Amino acid sequence: MISRPISRTKQAVLSAFSVLLLIIGYTWISHRQHQVNPEDTTIPSWGQLADGAKKFTQPDRRGKRWLIEDSFATAKRLGAGISLGIIFGFVIGMSMGCIAPLEAFLQPPISLLAKVPQTAALAVYFVFFGTGMEMYVAMIAFGIIPTLAVTVYLAIKDIPSAMIDKAYTLGASHFEVAFEVVFKQVLPKFIDAVRLCIGPAIVFLIAAEMVVGDVGFGYRIRLQFKLTNMNVVYPYLAFLAFFGFLLDYMLRFLQSKICPWYQNDSK
Amino acid sequence: MIENVEQQNFGLHCEKVSHWFGETKVLFDLNLKVKAGQFVSLIGPSGCGKSTLLRAILGTHPPNEGRILTMQNGQLTQANHPGRDRGIVYQKYSLYPFLTALDNVALGLKLDQTTTFYRFFNWSGWAKKRKSFRDRAAVFLEKVGLGHAMNMYPNQMSGGMQQRVAIAQALIMEPEIILLDEPFGALDEATREELQEMLLRLYQENQEALSKNQKPPYTLIIVTHELNEAIRVGNRLVGLSQYWNWKEAGHDSPPGATIVYDKDAPIFKPDERPNYESFEDIRKEIRRYVYSPDELQSRYEHLKTNLT
Repeated sequence: MISRPISRTKQAVLSAFSVLLLIIGYTWISHRQHQVNPEDTTIPSWGQLADGAKKFTQPDRRGKRWLIEDSFATAKRLGAGISLGIIFGFVIGMSMGCIAPLEAFLQPPISLLAKVPQTAALAVYFVFFGTGMEMYVAMIAFGIIPTLAVTVYLAIKDIPSAMIDKAYTLGASHFEVAFEVVFKQVLPKFIDAVRLCIGPAIVFLIAAEMVVGDVGFGYRIRLQFKLTNMNVVYPYLAFLAFFGFLLDYMLRFLQSKICPWYQNDSK
Repeated sequence: MIENVEQQNFGLHCEKVSHWFGETKVLFDLNLKVKAGQFVSLIGPSGCGKSTLLRAILGTHPPNEGRILTMQNGQLTQANHPGRDRGIVYQKYSLYPFLTALDNVALGLKLDQTTTFYRFFNWSGWAKKRKSFRDRAAVFLEKVGLGHAMNMYPNQMSGGMQQRVAIAQALIMEPEIILLDEPFGALDEATREELQEMLLRLYQENQEALSKNQKPPYTLIIVTHELNEAIRVGNRLVGLSQYWNWKEAGHDSPPGATIVYDKDAPIFKPDERPNYESFEDIRKEIRRYVYSPDELQSRYEHLKTNLT
């Protein structure tokens, strides 16, 4: 039946089964491929994957461990970009939602910017910000600012005006209405929006790293893919997925801690 | 001295209030004086401008003409913005979903008596004040019968509980006047009666204060379309209606609604279940003079309270 709940054990068993199926499926495809061509590297066997793991965890000729080097570079860019995007997205969204003239002023550029595919606009960022850290940060920030700002703005428009009027009858100043009523109500929706923005932010970053990076996940994946070292590429993809999942989980945890009133069923 | 006494009894004063939206005339030359301690039931046919009047009093939409005076910081002041002297209880969206019942009630004290700057920089002072605010909020929650639900969030509470919290939230500010906009409209009959009893207990406190020669603490305007509720809770019935004899008053087109009915209502004790059949005469009168489009009488015909 539609949306009838199942027991916890059933749920766990089914989840474990899907993972198991993935592993078995992969092993089988890889095995078949190696029967055709024992030297194949496109679908590496488990042994080849272990070799790959050695490659990116042991120091290379320069004495650097790839995984650590790449993780630091990518995380730094992503962290700086998302942080900047969060700050500006929130401030712009709040001012648009609370101050009518700013709403009229900011609406056109924001809705326009939201429609520009960031990966297609890579060249623009190279021209304006070079190929260093600034470029990555600007690209991620500009990529997520419109979505975040619009989410905050719409969430504010969603607040019934009765709630705002009532705050004034309770002796609130304008700033207090913005902070105590509007901000606190918008916060959980904003965290949801940030969660949804992590995916696109990683896409923008990896795309940029693939084109101009000299270190980082995107750079390594492009390089190793050219050498068809898929035993490095696949684990790297898994790391990226895990990294995104971890961020998402942390944000969800944060949300449940600071907004216990908010009912969030999305996993 | 006289002015002092006058001010002591002051609740609300609407003077020649008219309001219109473009061609649509809503309120016309409306005069209403509410004394401190009165429980005014505002009734009228739908579309007569009850909500417009309420919004005008609240100050979110001041009237096009005339003025509305309330007591603000000990002075009679025109009510052009919502302020802490007027409380409001809406039918819906009454509570802040991100605060528990206790914090919802304490919110007014927090916003009114401390500033963001203070809360941010004087942690220890704020912690102490917050405790005292919460203690006081707890007293008000007890008063509305919710001592057991202090830490519940609004979405965990029933509609009746939410309205109780909303009323406590308004009461704690000790405003000059509290506006209730169809507060029990979405509730079932039993809950409705419980809440009416709660309001009547507040009225009783008013009577006690008056007998001790003190200023009565609660003044209410309750908008309702349930006549029995209006008669039971209010001690004064005010009917707003667009159906009055404006032709006789020299208008070519309907000038808008005004007060056509203003009489005392019977007073009930909280635990006294009224015999609603005995309201029949009053209900008939109200239906005839306030609600009926066919019965056009002079606007001054059914005003008992003197307008000066």
